[in-house]
Amino acid sequence: MNHLIKNAVLLATFLAASLALAQEKGHLNVKTVVQKEEMTVSESGERETRLVEPDTVVPGDSVIYTITFANISDESAENVVITNPVPENLTYIEGSAFGPGTVIEFSVDGGETYGAKDELTVPDNGGTRTAKVEDYTHLRWVMQNDLAAGSQGVASFRAVLN
Amino acid sequence: MKTITKPAEIRLYYGNWFGIPGQYKKRRKRCECLRTENRLGHPPDHYGSAAVASVPWPETGQTLIVTSWKSTNVLRRLLLLMALACACGPAWSAGTAAGTVINNTATVDFLLAGTPVTQTSNVASITVVERVDVVVTLQSGQVIVAPGEADRSLLFTVTNTGNGNETFTLAMDSVLAGDDFDPQPAVPGIYFDTDSSGDFTPADLAYNPGNNDPQLAADAAIDVLLVNDIPGAVVNGNVGRSELTATSSTGTGVPGAAFPGLGDGGVDAVIGATGGEAAQTGEYVVGDVQVDIIKSVAISDPFGGTQPTPGATLTYTVTVEVMNTGTTSGSVLRDPIPANTTYVAGSISLNGGPLSDPIDADAGELDTSGAPTVVVRLGDLIQGNGIQTITFAVTID
Repeated sequence: MNHLIKNAVLLATFLAASLALAQEKGHLNVKTVVQKEEMTVSESGERETRLVEPDTVVPGDSVIYTITFANISDESAENVVITNPVPENLTYIEGSAFGPGTVIEFSVDGGETYGAKDELTVPDNGGTRTAKVEDYTHLRWVMQNDLAAGSQGVASFRAVLN
Repeated sequence: MKTITKPAEIRLYYGNWFGIPGQYKKRRKRCECLRTENRLGHPPDHYGSAAVASVPWPETGQTLIVTSWKSTNVLRRLLLLMALACACGPAWSAGTAAGTVINNTATVDFLLAGTPVTQTSNVASITVVERVDVVVTLQSGQVIVAPGEADRSLLFTVTNTGNGNETFTLAMDSVLAGDDFDPQPAVPGIYFDTDSSGDFTPADLAYNPGNNDPQLAADAAIDVLLVNDIPGAVVNGNVGRSELTATSSTGTGVPGAAFPGLGDGGVDAVIGATGGEAAQTGEYVVGDVQVDIIKSVAISDPFGGTQPTPGATLTYTVTVEVMNTGTTSGSVLRDPIPANTTYVAGSISLNGGPLSDPIDADAGELDTSGAPTVVVRLGDLIQGNGIQTITFAVTID
């Protein structure tokens, strides 16, 4: 009898420990970075864009958010969806969302529903109209394939400060 | 160049052109995509294939990136139109307030071994700094003044077009090159239009540098008057100019110059496109013409006398003479036919030369569009033209 209880206790402790470990470690490493886009005109008259620290962002500047997600577990992650709200005071730049291997969708209702940009409508004077970038509340990137253990993905978008 | 008003949206089409609802007729081009199968027919107000994307018109300062079109001509024309639409609009407004913190977190949902997991990223944070910008606009048109007049004002508006609170210092300069005379500042010269009358009145508060420098919130504005006296030794047509400058107290410099920690709430301040300083010049013009107009009448009755009886003829003589160094520009004499009289046809003359009654190439006529009126165009008159004499006759009914 003691033997059984002891094993049960050991098992419970072991499970608890491994759960704790798993929660601490997380399964994906998700990082987001924001940079400011600085436009310069080179000596030859060509426009160049550099990405710099967003130290001095003023209305009219563009910023780019880059999200990286790495699968640091030893299992494949399935149905991976990255969601990002469009921050207040920023307006999404049409067509700037980027994410290899993903389908990109937008929400105009606070993240309740998502759709392709041409499908989205908002109420307008009793009727509806096609949503514009100013109406977007969220973006999401839906990975089309599993994220294998040890691999990583990237998603990004650009926005203008109002 | 035609100014295009900002439409609600533009529609992008395949091929080498684009369409703006309601304006397509001005931009008809052959659509290069006609060989594809994507033509869905012509929407009622567009030419060419159906729209493949509708995008909102970019806001001033925004760049619309067209990524899916191979032709660079579309982008070039889009940028040109943006410049046109943006250039004809007002200066852009302040935007997001300085000091605003914008935080962003990404969320990832996935399944691991069948178990749903949600994870969030770190917080990416931006703090909006202050952009320093100012605009001075002239509200007065050309102000007509007389020699020796005192306290004549020019009205300006100073607007904070940055995104933070800003204090401005004001300066006045009436000794400018390129004009005919220097207005004399009626010290202290700079006043706020405290009673919003648009003119200099006793209620207007004088500007006292360092003591009441205007403090304006983002997008706020204040009306400022420059008050000058006009010197005596000026002649008609002389122009005198006076300039108002507004300078941000945080700093000035090339656009992008940074002033760490000097923005609202201790964020950095960055000089905007205006350099943090703006100036405008107003203009006084001496308008000082003195004209003498004298009208007399001679009466001739049917009985050979000078009694104003029915049937008597009244011959009016009007003389116009410029008495000083001024010029009357495009002057026109209008004299209505008196009630109870009838105009004598063909009786208008100018300086002895008859003028025909109908409207034609000569200098005068009887205008019958309303109540009958003698109209004589005298043109630009100066003292050297001497006395202009106009006569016409009526009979008493």
